[in-house]
Amino acid sequence: MRALLDFLTRYHHWFLLIVLEGLSLGLLFQFNHYHNSVWMTTANTVVAHVAAWEEGVLRYWHLGQTNEDLMRRNLMLEQKNERLTRYIATLTHDSTWTERRQADLLSDVTLLPAKVVTNSVLRRDNFITINRGEADGVKPEMGVVCGTGIVGIIYMTSKHFAIVQPLLNSRSRISCRLRDSQYFGYLKWEGGNPLYAILDDIPRHARFKEGDIVETSGYSSVFPSGIFVGKVSKIENSDDGLSYKLRVHLSTDFSRLQAVCVVQQHFQSEIHALEQQADSLAQQ
Amino acid sequence: MLLTILQRFFWMVVLVAAQLLVFNHIHLFGYATPLPYVYLVLSLPMDTERWEALLWGFTCGLLADITMLTPGVGAFALTLTAFMQPTLLKLMAPKDAVEDMRPSYSTMGFWSYSYYAGILTLQFSLAYFCVLAFNFHHFTDLAISFLSSWALTFLLCLIFQGFRKKRNE
Repeated sequence: MRALLDFLTRYHHWFLLIVLEGLSLGLLFQFNHYHNSVWMTTANTVVAHVAAWEEGVLRYWHLGQTNEDLMRRNLMLEQKNERLTRYIATLTHDSTWTERRQADLLSDVTLLPAKVVTNSVLRRDNFITINRGEADGVKPEMGVVCGTGIVGIIYMTSKHFAIVQPLLNSRSRISCRLRDSQYFGYLKWEGGNPLYAILDDIPRHARFKEGDIVETSGYSSVFPSGIFVGKVSKIENSDDGLSYKLRVHLSTDFSRLQAVCVVQQHFQSEIHALEQQADSLAQQ
Repeated sequence: MLLTILQRFFWMVVLVAAQLLVFNHIHLFGYATPLPYVYLVLSLPMDTERWEALLWGFTCGLLADITMLTPGVGAFALTLTAFMQPTLLKLMAPKDAVEDMRPSYSTMGFWSYSYYAGILTLQFSLAYFCVLAFNFHHFTDLAISFLSSWALTFLLCLIFQGFRKKRNE
């Protein structure tokens, strides 16, 4: 306190100078319009510059947060863009002959759209999980198709999900036929390339050529007949030499599978029960 | 003490009245207007306290402002001059000067007094015209006004001092 008083006493003339000059300037700005306006203009300009500088500094400090927000926004817009692009594609897409024929064939059955949750093509016994289950009426032995052809058969179901045994499974055998000649055989996959499967048991007297279309035969309650499966790419003899073994280029690209449909045939359970009854009678 | 104050106040009124009635009407070449009321601060003796000088400068400037309708301009400039005056007087005063020396030709010599008066009037004129103009857009006009007014003010202060010397003799 004493030091403060000493300081004030020692430099009292400086304080008096500041007070008197301040008073003079106060009078100057108070009673002279010109000085007042110049002062206000200058003060405003200075304040504006200081505010702009402060704004710049604050903006710099918040750059990290802004960048994070922009990144999040960018991701959101990317996802939205992807969805809209797909939607536009479905609106403008001119369906192929295969798709139209498939739609016709499947018109008398109920199709339940589903999305692929998990998928694999690299294993010997691949499985696909879809987001439909018993709650949606999905049962084992139901067929699963996609826009380009067959996918597989429902293997197991839970309340909300189902596991599909696709064509790309060593235990899968689907009855198929050659569209032109109507000879039928069993389609199976021997591993390796997921784009090719084998149509076995085609009799030796059958006439066909490479490029012939392979479709479902309809000899089971799983798939209706005529659903496009693929095209014959190579003709070979079977191991025992009694039949042909056709290498089929599958129409379905399993590695890009996203949306599928479960085929619900109206009388499937009735047919299935009848088949089981016939089997049991035959065994007796 | 009281007499000194009254005397000084009287001279202040006389100088401001002279400024208002006579010198304010002088506009030499449209630029030069003398402001000789600064002489009051120039004549403060060496033993004047700095705060006292500040108050005299402010009061005189304020009185001039009130009469000339330029509130704040003269007060600002003359307060600044009054702040510098004691320091400058001590610097320019002869080494054997008495404590209560009054600045004049006889106590300081003509040249010392002229330097002293010249510097203070220069500072006063500069501060006065800068505050009055309050911008430097017309710098040339401002410089001419300031320099010509300073020259006249300085000359009048020297003349006042000359009259005072004669009167004292």
